[in-house]
Amino acid sequence: MLYNVHFGIYVDVAMPVEDKSKSLLPFLSSPKLLPNESEAEFQSGLQSLLSELDNPSPLAVALVSQLNECLWWIKRHTVDKELLLHEAMARLLSREGSNWMGSGDSALSEALEHYLEGSAHKDQAALIEEALIDANLTLSDLRAKAFKDAARHIKMVDDLIHRQHQTIRHLQRSIDSIDYKSRLIKRMDLELAALESKQSVKGVLSLDDKPS
Amino acid sequence: MTISHRRSLANRCNALKSTGPKSVSGKRASSQNSRKHGLNSAPDFESSSEYSALVELIAEEGFSAFACADIAAGLLNYRRVMDAYYDTYTSPEPVDEFLRDANVKASNPIFSELLSPSGSEPQDVREMAAFFASMQRQERRKGGPVSRRSADTHKLMRYQRNGIARLSRAVRQG
Repeated sequence: MLYNVHFGIYVDVAMPVEDKSKSLLPFLSSPKLLPNESEAEFQSGLQSLLSELDNPSPLAVALVSQLNECLWWIKRHTVDKELLLHEAMARLLSREGSNWMGSGDSALSEALEHYLEGSAHKDQAALIEEALIDANLTLSDLRAKAFKDAARHIKMVDDLIHRQHQTIRHLQRSIDSIDYKSRLIKRMDLELAALESKQSVKGVLSLDDKPS
Repeated sequence: MTISHRRSLANRCNALKSTGPKSVSGKRASSQNSRKHGLNSAPDFESSSEYSALVELIAEEGFSAFACADIAAGLLNYRRVMDAYYDTYTSPEPVDEFLRDANVKASNPIFSELLSPSGSEPQDVREMAAFFASMQRQERRKGGPVSRRSADTHKLMRYQRNGIARLSRAVRQG
């Protein structure tokens, strides 16, 4: 079933076992991806979670889809923690320096991003190195200072990650209860079938015992 | 000091004199200014077509009618929260680079010129400069785009907590 769409991304949730016409997912808004995110990676995460369930019901599939989204949010927020540090590093360099005030935080932030990834071109590397010399800081000093500077926002992101963990715990408990319920129903069906077969055997035996 | 800087400052000074919208449509538009995510409004899931379809499908799994209604509403509510979470995350309050990078002290001559073309009181200029400085401090305190989106998303945490608790309770009691 192809469903929703933001940024032109269609997410095709392939359900290995489930009958797609009975899926709940088309009636729920789907998790959205950012333009730079891999849809294939998102789908493979969902498939691996679904493969852990033995014959999942439509409700279980819907809950697993929410769980996969939470894992995705944890990834996003973890990247954000690093980005917050880069932002703070750029802010500090901009504050400490004097020659590159004109370039602004955003230009410095972009240059720093590339510099830390090792993909900065000459001008960007020169800008960062000059800024570091002028501020009389090494890269690790700057990182330590930035960590202190961005502590408030990093704490917020940690809270967001913690919230996703708690949500995952709730979803796991819900999925477990559905799984337990379906197993209980299956077990009761089997017991009923066994009782019925016993009953029919008894009936046959009692018929055999009847004197002709 | 560039012309655009002067013009930007003039626009901001003039905006301070504004007494708000006059027209009905302007008032209607500005009444929604403080609307952030809409999660505080009571949703009406029961009348939606998705709700009845969900209830029907969940009932096939052997849940009672009450449980089906609770689970369907819980799922729709949780999705509503997560959609708002995504929207808040992807559209944080934009950084006002002009205000953040402006040199307020160096703008004093412009303030005095803007306040009164025929010569202003030094007190007025000082007040205007202090006002801009405080706005600049606020702007800088909010940080860059990543800090802003983290802070904005953080405000939605309680809605997610309530949404998942409602859904989980409905499924486990069903």
